[in-house]
Amino acid sequence: MLNFKINSNEIDKIGKFTKEEKYFRLKNLNHFNDIGFPNKRNEDWKFSDLKEIVSKNFNKLELKLEKSKKPKIDFIKDFEHNYIVIINGELTYSDFKYEEKDKIKLQPFINEDYSDSKKHNPLLNLNHALSDKGYFLDVKENYKFKKVLVIYHLFTEDLDENILNSKNKIKIGKNSELHFLEFTINESKKNFFNNVYEDIILEKSAALKSIYLQNDKSFGYFHKYSRNSLSSDSNYTSFIFPTGHKFNKLDLEFNLEGERSECNLQSASFLDDNVHQEVKTRVNHLFPNCKSYQKVKNVLNAESKGVYQGKIFVKDVAQKTDAYQLSKAILLSELSEFDSKPELEIYADDVKCSHGSTSGNLDKDSIYYLMTRGLTKKESTKLLVNGFLNEVVDSIKSNSIRNFVKNKLENQFINEY
Amino acid sequence: MKNQNTNISEEYKYGFTTEIDNIKAPKGLSEETIKFISKIKKEPKWMLDWRLKAFNRLKVSKEPNWQKPKYPKINYQDLYYYSAPKSMNDKPKSLDEVDPKLIETYNKLGIPLTEQKKLSGVAVDAVFDSVSVATTFKDELTKKGIIFCPISEAIREHPELVKKYLGSVIPISDHYFATLNSAVFTDGSFVYIPPNTRCPMELSTYFRINAAETGQFERTLIIADKGSYVSYLEGCTAPMRDENQLHAANVELVALDDAEIKYSTVQNWYPGDKDGVGGIYNFVTKRGACRGKNSKISWTQVETGSAITWKYPSCILQGDNSVGEFYSIAITNNHQKADTGTKMIHLGKNTKSKIISKGISAGNADNTYRGLVDIGRKALNSRNYTQCDSLLMGNKCGAHTVPYIKNKNSSSTIEHEATTSKINDDQLFYCNQRGLNQEEAVSLIVNGFCKDVLQQLPMEFAVEAQKLVGISLEGSVG
Repeated sequence: MLNFKINSNEIDKIGKFTKEEKYFRLKNLNHFNDIGFPNKRNEDWKFSDLKEIVSKNFNKLELKLEKSKKPKIDFIKDFEHNYIVIINGELTYSDFKYEEKDKIKLQPFINEDYSDSKKHNPLLNLNHALSDKGYFLDVKENYKFKKVLVIYHLFTEDLDENILNSKNKIKIGKNSELHFLEFTINESKKNFFNNVYEDIILEKSAALKSIYLQNDKSFGYFHKYSRNSLSSDSNYTSFIFPTGHKFNKLDLEFNLEGERSECNLQSASFLDDNVHQEVKTRVNHLFPNCKSYQKVKNVLNAESKGVYQGKIFVKDVAQKTDAYQLSKAILLSELSEFDSKPELEIYADDVKCSHGSTSGNLDKDSIYYLMTRGLTKKESTKLLVNGFLNEVVDSIKSNSIRNFVKNKLENQFINEY
Repeated sequence: MKNQNTNISEEYKYGFTTEIDNIKAPKGLSEETIKFISKIKKEPKWMLDWRLKAFNRLKVSKEPNWQKPKYPKINYQDLYYYSAPKSMNDKPKSLDEVDPKLIETYNKLGIPLTEQKKLSGVAVDAVFDSVSVATTFKDELTKKGIIFCPISEAIREHPELVKKYLGSVIPISDHYFATLNSAVFTDGSFVYIPPNTRCPMELSTYFRINAAETGQFERTLIIADKGSYVSYLEGCTAPMRDENQLHAANVELVALDDAEIKYSTVQNWYPGDKDGVGGIYNFVTKRGACRGKNSKISWTQVETGSAITWKYPSCILQGDNSVGEFYSIAITNNHQKADTGTKMIHLGKNTKSKIISKGISAGNADNTYRGLVDIGRKALNSRNYTQCDSLLMGNKCGAHTVPYIKNKNSSSTIEHEATTSKINDDQLFYCNQRGLNQEEAVSLIVNGFCKDVLQQLPMEFAVEAQKLVGISLEGSVG
């Protein structure tokens, strides 16, 4: 079994730091070394035993990565867009040709918050200790993006049992609006681990829409912790289509920190092979009159495993909260598994909170109906699964983007099933 | 069911000879204590060995700490694990010495004076002779071959059954409190229903003759042999005064082919006063195994008492086509805390389970539903339906839902839904308009909210449980 401990001189290799920062990194590194990769005894990792997964699939985890030459990127041609290119977690170049330049600030991320060194999530500790790349996108007040922003995440072919730690931050100023699409392109043929920490801040009346999508399958092991803070009257809609990583855990925290803020999370995935995917959410309703909506759909084939852990927390002052959580899964194979833990923790009485979770096979009557109309069993299944997942895609408002996402997902699905 | 503990003069029938009256077990948890308990119970050697094995296990196991309600550390060395029946001198002399709140509740439930005295532990001579009632039933049961006796008696007289089934559902190494119980359990019920027998009456601790001192570590074992049926009632609606703060009971059910066990509980132990001082810690392990084909186990519980209730009556569905059911109402008021739910573990083919849980919290209380539905790889065509609803009254209380749902095969279906809300103002207004006062209206609405579960209770319990639901929430609205 791989015993993955990191020597503290690795921190010096990353760069020169102030005393304060060095102390912060060391402390977090010690936390990580104490626990190592989390296993299923950790409540948050109950259904995803990362220790086992990592030791089964990795011989080593290399921190150092030679700077690779700039690969050519296949830009999306379906719609006009601004873009940022991130290669192996590192901000490489960007183009905001449709926007007013003085309203946007983009720079490599420099962490100046050394407060978080709690022992909650070993991977977060690992990120705090070793992160050396990332970006910070700052959208100034009263600015609406004219075109969508595509963030290309490229993973190069020279990745080989590497671990990447990056930190990203997006801040949307007062009354501003941004729509972005995170698009992952993978060229690596080997295992690698990508550990991301993300901070998203929405100021008063800001609006953000994001879509997370992958172009192709990879041997990547992904973990992303995302902390989203929503001020009053802000609105965040997030679509997640995480398909194709070997292991993927999205740990999303939404803090509704102002009245009438709204967050909306929808996810649809088709899991195949022995993919392991977990979506974990925590929505903290801290102020009155906030709304949250979560819909997570999974289709599981082959030996894949899907996990949904969702939590809605309602503080005692957060009256008139409207929170909803729904998880639906279709298991197509005898060897697939779906686990869910939809949790409610409620301390206010005048609230509307509900959740639902279902898992099962496709409706036999529906398949029978389609087969009587001349479709084969496989075609019927495909049709039904498509319908099941497209419900999420259909709620994307922009036509060109919706069609683009639809095509990508259908391609994946057709190739795999 | 009000007078559960009516049989005062029964001790001798149980091997409680008068000489132990003044004997006290050594204080604290030790091998001596366990040997002492075993000796007093006149247990055979294998039983003592079993207890000691559990005790050894206890030394290395740790108290769980994942639960929602936290409690002050219990000093296990400071407890008495066996107390002889109370002598008359220790008990309150008359009802005047009893908490008037308790008396008020008795009156509301309509409990006769003599029973009130008994329930609140007032020293009285046996007034009504329930012995005759109990023995009549006992004759009828014996005729059918049903064994219904205290577990200590069963250990002596039916060792083959006890040996075979005791600890087979809750192993001694299960978790801290289950292990503790295995080491020091003092008494409880034993039920065996022979094949193809339908138990002619609802069995209850009421008929069990030693019910007077149930003890804090109760152990119940119910076995339904092939094709049999039994309905078992535990507890009573009247609030019980109890000296022991920690209760760690174990209940094991075994259903063989085509057998059915229905287990109903109404728990209304002392919840502590309005400020949350005192009250019972009810840490119970209840588990049933549907061993045979087409077997069925159904748990129904109404939990209104105790400062902390922490229990998960569970079903292990091993046999093909077996069925598990769980119906629960948990009401918490003032500073009460409840963390309750169930586990449905599907192992056999075509197994079905259903969970209906209703949680109501008021005052400063905290109410958690925590449940597991686990459908295994081989449990083809299995099905689960879960519904847990919570009702909140006021913004100082909490309602939480923590379901764990695992599905490992594609032919099975799991459905789970949960809602949290408060009592609708329109409903209250409507009731008020028809002349009901605030409390009556709340009681009516809450009873409607709980209807699905109340319906599952046996007749005798149902009527009282309805009253109890109303009483438990008094003062929580308006």
